[in-house]
Amino acid sequence: MPTVSVKWQKHVFNGVEIDTEQPPYVFKCQLYDLTGVPPERQKIMVKGGLLKDDGDWESLGIKEGQRLMLMGTAEEIPKAPEKGPVFVEDLPEDEQGTAALGHTAGLVNLGNTCYMNSTLQCLHSVPELRLALKEYSAAVGTGIDPSSHSLTAATRDLFGELDRSIRPVAPVRFLTVLRSKYPQFAQQTNQGLYMQQDAEECWTQLVYVLSQRLQSVPWDEQPTNTVVKHLFGIEFKSIIKCEESGEESSESETVYTLKCHISSEVNHLHEGLKHGLKSELEKTSPILGRSTLHIKESWINKLPPYLTVQFVRFFWKRESNQKAKILRKVNYPLVLDVLDFCTEELKEKLKGPRKVYREIEDAKVGIKKKEKEGAEGVKALQNLGTSTSDENVEMADAEQAPSSSEKVNVPEPEVTGIYDLVAVLTHKGRSADSGHYVAWVKQDSGKWIEFDDEQPILQREEDITKLSGGGDWHMAYICLYKARVAPPY
Amino acid sequence: MAPEHPKESHQMDHDAQPPPPSSKSVVKDAKKKKDEKKDEDLSEEDQALKQQLELYVERVQDVDPAIQKVALEAMREEIRTATSSMTSVPKPLKFLRPHYGALKSYYEKMVNAELKRYLADVISVLALTMSEDGDRESLCFRLQGSVGDIGSWGHEYVRNLAGEIGNEFQQRQIEEQPVDDLMDLVKQIVPFHVKHNAEPEAVDLLMEVESLDLLVEHIDKGNYKRTCSYLTSFASYVPEPDDTLVLDIAYQLYCKFEKYPDALRVALRMDNTQYVKSIFAACKDFSEKQQLCYILARQGISLDLDGELADSNEQRDILQELISNSKLSEGYLTLARDLDVMEPKTPDDIYKAHLIDGRASAGASVDSARQNLAATFVNAFVNAGFGQDKLMTVPSTESLTGSSSGSWLFKNKEHGKASAAASLGLIALWDVDGGLPLVDKYLYSNDNHVIAGALLAVGIVNCGVHNECDPAYALLCESVNKEDPTTRIGAIMGLGLAYAGSQREEVLKLLTPIVHDFKVGIEVAGFAALSLGLVYVGSCNEDVAQSIILALMDRSEAELGEPLAHFLCLGLGLLYLGKQDAVDATMEVAKTLHEKISKFCQVTLDSCAYAGTGNVLKVQAFLSLCGDHLEKGDSHQAPAVLGIALVAMAEELGLDMAIRSLEHLLQYGEQNIRRAVPLALGILSISNPKISVMDTLSRLSHDTDSEVAMAATVSLGIIGAGTNNARIAGMLRNLSSYYYKDPSLLFCVRIAQGLVHMGKGLLTLNPYHSDRFMLSNVALAGLISFLHGSLDMKSIILGKYHYVLYFLVLAIQPRMLITLDENLKPLSVPVRVGQAVDVVGQAGRPKTITGFQTHTTPVLLATGDRAELATEKYIPLSSVLEGFVILKLNPDYQQDHLSS
Repeated sequence: MPTVSVKWQKHVFNGVEIDTEQPPYVFKCQLYDLTGVPPERQKIMVKGGLLKDDGDWESLGIKEGQRLMLMGTAEEIPKAPEKGPVFVEDLPEDEQGTAALGHTAGLVNLGNTCYMNSTLQCLHSVPELRLALKEYSAAVGTGIDPSSHSLTAATRDLFGELDRSIRPVAPVRFLTVLRSKYPQFAQQTNQGLYMQQDAEECWTQLVYVLSQRLQSVPWDEQPTNTVVKHLFGIEFKSIIKCEESGEESSESETVYTLKCHISSEVNHLHEGLKHGLKSELEKTSPILGRSTLHIKESWINKLPPYLTVQFVRFFWKRESNQKAKILRKVNYPLVLDVLDFCTEELKEKLKGPRKVYREIEDAKVGIKKKEKEGAEGVKALQNLGTSTSDENVEMADAEQAPSSSEKVNVPEPEVTGIYDLVAVLTHKGRSADSGHYVAWVKQDSGKWIEFDDEQPILQREEDITKLSGGGDWHMAYICLYKARVAPPY
Repeated sequence: MAPEHPKESHQMDHDAQPPPPSSKSVVKDAKKKKDEKKDEDLSEEDQALKQQLELYVERVQDVDPAIQKVALEAMREEIRTATSSMTSVPKPLKFLRPHYGALKSYYEKMVNAELKRYLADVISVLALTMSEDGDRESLCFRLQGSVGDIGSWGHEYVRNLAGEIGNEFQQRQIEEQPVDDLMDLVKQIVPFHVKHNAEPEAVDLLMEVESLDLLVEHIDKGNYKRTCSYLTSFASYVPEPDDTLVLDIAYQLYCKFEKYPDALRVALRMDNTQYVKSIFAACKDFSEKQQLCYILARQGISLDLDGELADSNEQRDILQELISNSKLSEGYLTLARDLDVMEPKTPDDIYKAHLIDGRASAGASVDSARQNLAATFVNAFVNAGFGQDKLMTVPSTESLTGSSSGSWLFKNKEHGKASAAASLGLIALWDVDGGLPLVDKYLYSNDNHVIAGALLAVGIVNCGVHNECDPAYALLCESVNKEDPTTRIGAIMGLGLAYAGSQREEVLKLLTPIVHDFKVGIEVAGFAALSLGLVYVGSCNEDVAQSIILALMDRSEAELGEPLAHFLCLGLGLLYLGKQDAVDATMEVAKTLHEKISKFCQVTLDSCAYAGTGNVLKVQAFLSLCGDHLEKGDSHQAPAVLGIALVAMAEELGLDMAIRSLEHLLQYGEQNIRRAVPLALGILSISNPKISVMDTLSRLSHDTDSEVAMAATVSLGIIGAGTNNARIAGMLRNLSSYYYKDPSLLFCVRIAQGLVHMGKGLLTLNPYHSDRFMLSNVALAGLISFLHGSLDMKSIILGKYHYVLYFLVLAIQPRMLITLDENLKPLSVPVRVGQAVDVVGQAGRPKTITGFQTHTTPVLLATGDRAELATEKYIPLSSVLEGFVILKLNPDYQQDHLSS
């Protein structure tokens, strides 16, 4: 009976006896005791191959003291997961793009239609709007206004196509419908070419039509509110004061865009907005019985989840008979706080959500609040201590799918008055009816994509704020801000 | 004397000037005056010397032999004592110049034999400055002059004479005249040169007269190093078979002075197993023998030491273990631990997406099989040899996704799983005991791709190391003849990698039937041929050649048109790697093959047979092939382009010329040539990121032809392989954002990124080692296989056969220096590492490195770096400090009392 040494991984077992009378399977069982490797998983290297379970010791010529190598582990054999991963390469070709690139396709320019393309791309970036459109069906009162209906339906179809395609989409149908609804977009030059249009006009008209057509919002108690009004509507409260008589009247109105007026003092969006909230107007005073100068001051009374800001860059220049452009550089932030423009009531209302929001933010960066902030602080802290993680998750949920209609019982997260820039529509050129419009849209992944008609181009976030004007580069015309929300307080 | 110099040279300048045109006669007159004035300007001393010499010349022609003799002797004395320098002609010679003709004509008339010889001596010396080019008068008179110490006439004279001997020798060879008198002179000149620090000149002279063997007796302990370094480095410029002769002399010299490690290197370069054995027999010191074993292991030569070559069984076992290279993994990990790079790296650490300007692929929501495969390769290359990583070897509990440990494996698709399983082999490279248990469980998988990958992994783990239990063959041999072609390829390629260069007969018996079995698919046959080529690399094995040729003859035209049919030719070529004209017979057969493959086969054979030889004629032949305009369908120009690089990579000068020639091909070549150029540039500058090559490749990586761009991208990885070169890494990052939409190019970029960071920067792919003196055949074969795989990027690397990337494993080596004590334990000593300086042919003890830094071993060596010990305490057993070097205590070392 020769004794051999067996090497297994980094261990060496010396003096293992081989009973040459017994088949090698017995030897393997011997090794099983030493190593714990089941015999059927053992591989023993001998000259010219592996040791067979029923092999013949004689023919192998095992010598005294020979070193054998044992390979094998008791480890579980890896099994393929039941459901293999889905690969981009497996997807149908038209889905590969979005999956691989993480952004949607571009829109083909159909002849000076970049104003429309950029508008569509910006609006397409609002998931709630997409969802609402998806649910829009022909059944909803087609009869009243067929052209509005067909425009809405065309928008729905186009957005659907954008979501699916990897290739640039040609918005032919949408354009036709748009032009039939608003003939001003079908203006042609002498040569019969369609002319460039003002993107802001397109934006306003489209939002208007959608606000008309997209009716009830499932999560809103007020059935009269439309989706668009809920998403974009900014409620103003204004006080109109007559300088001479001192009489005051107040009114409230809902608009879809905040205007940023540009004068020589305005260097920043904030200043421009402030400017826009105060205006002078001639009005007949009932007391004086004649037209006098009134001063109108407005405040925001209700904030939407999406804030549209328009830079009033174009004015009608009589001498050249065109909408000329103000090239002045007006900076705008990536994060906008509109608290300053709110009414006192709204400010009071925002206090709660803002506080919660701050605490969550602080908790995220790990700042511990001091005790001295009072009982409320302690309570909030305790509250945080128990449920910070939940809240975070909730918030993430809320951010990602605030529109999911199933969440009836969960109260709507509240706006905080703090907004993130999510889309910019820029214009390059000297007048609104010429030049080039481009949309810059932030993706869910945090990456910015410049949609230059059919071509989506990745961009850096730093470069987005450089679109503030002051030269002949693209400059922001309309900015779309998305509200940061806090869970209900 | 010093003030004389400028004036003299000035005057000589005037002599050399052509006469000015007559219209400027005024100037001419002025010049003439100046000349006369100069003549008068001679100092009194010179004037006296001049007159004296003129007197001697006159007296030599006297009738009285006694006066003649006195005059001749005086003249000799003057000439001999005159100080000579390189910049000016010695004075006596200068003053005697006008009389050269007179003396020569008088010489003819002389009768007295003794005086005639004396005069011949003088004229011979004068001829140094006077004789016309090609007249060889100096030599002619020397032969007629007196026999005696020629050295006394000055060094310059001897050099001149040596030059004339060379010419005369050639002349006489042509005319078939005896050369005995010349040889007598040579025998005088050689010792003179050797004694006066001019060994290269002695070697040159002996080369000219074709009797280099005379050298050995004149070389001593003091100058053998210089002589040998000259011999070994100019051997690359000598056409074969003379180069073997030169190396042979170097070998004899090293043996004579018992420098066995150096002798071994020369023997290995000559590929002379007999010499290797006799070195082992001659070497008595055990430590030195161990050093010899390390050198053998680095070259990948397996030598069976029998009783005669080792003193005892115990020693034999130790030596045999060293030859088997099983310590490589250990040494590599020692280096890694010392440099603190053990922590595994993920592909994302390599991609460094955060450094890319916002243009990186926006986090895809769905896995891309191709990008996962790229990540698999990157992970494997980066963690090569470390035995741990963050994708493949994570235990199930720690696995990021929380599912079973094979989770990453199954994130690859179909054939991708083969490469993923095989990557385990690369991660555990060289560590047979640790690697096989990792692979084991995958051998039981029910997925053929996984099994194929596991088999390949077994081969990769065993690549370059030999284990006494020989597990690779035992595990792979049965799977070679399985049903499934993927499994077969895995096993076949595994065998090829594990036994590359070993010439194992079992492998031959196992694989040859597959090669010429026309029932198997061409892809299996192709891989079998390639594996055989690797196992029998450079062996000219008849049996293998026969079976591959048979396969090439039997296969149908359609099969020969497939991309993998080229591997048959490549396998055949590798058999003759570097063997030059040994390929001729096979080449004749290749000409008779089907026209579809014949040309390709011929060029591949040629490029392999002359790879690493620097043969200029072959380079020219390849270049002219590339100049042809081809009908569609011919594919032989691409291997011709590679051939240029493979042949020219032998030495630096040829290499630079080849790079320039390739630039021309880029500008004027057709598309199929342009696609191969980046790869050729890659191999010429492998693991050696030269700025110029890098810039060319960077330019090409944006080429409009996507295949050129792909090849250039991969080549960027090749030139930076294992260097962590920041510039290339930056280029590749930019490329990754530039090509983020093109999955194929992005894949190439990823592979290149993996290569650049190969082994976290501790590895190299360079097949040349030991100060660029030796070429590892196995490594070169691996590189050629990879390059051929990359020639048809779309169907091979981007297709189903991406695992050909693993052929690179054959060339992977740590670029380290580890110093060991006599018990083979790592020993930390200070070393200076710096840019190597070429000191060949320089007198004295010039500095061999420049711009050095002092480190303690183990250290990393970049291409072109050289190390030297910074302490006198130890003596290295190998003169080339690379890889494993054993240090001996210096017996003469005296501890510096300050440092204690």
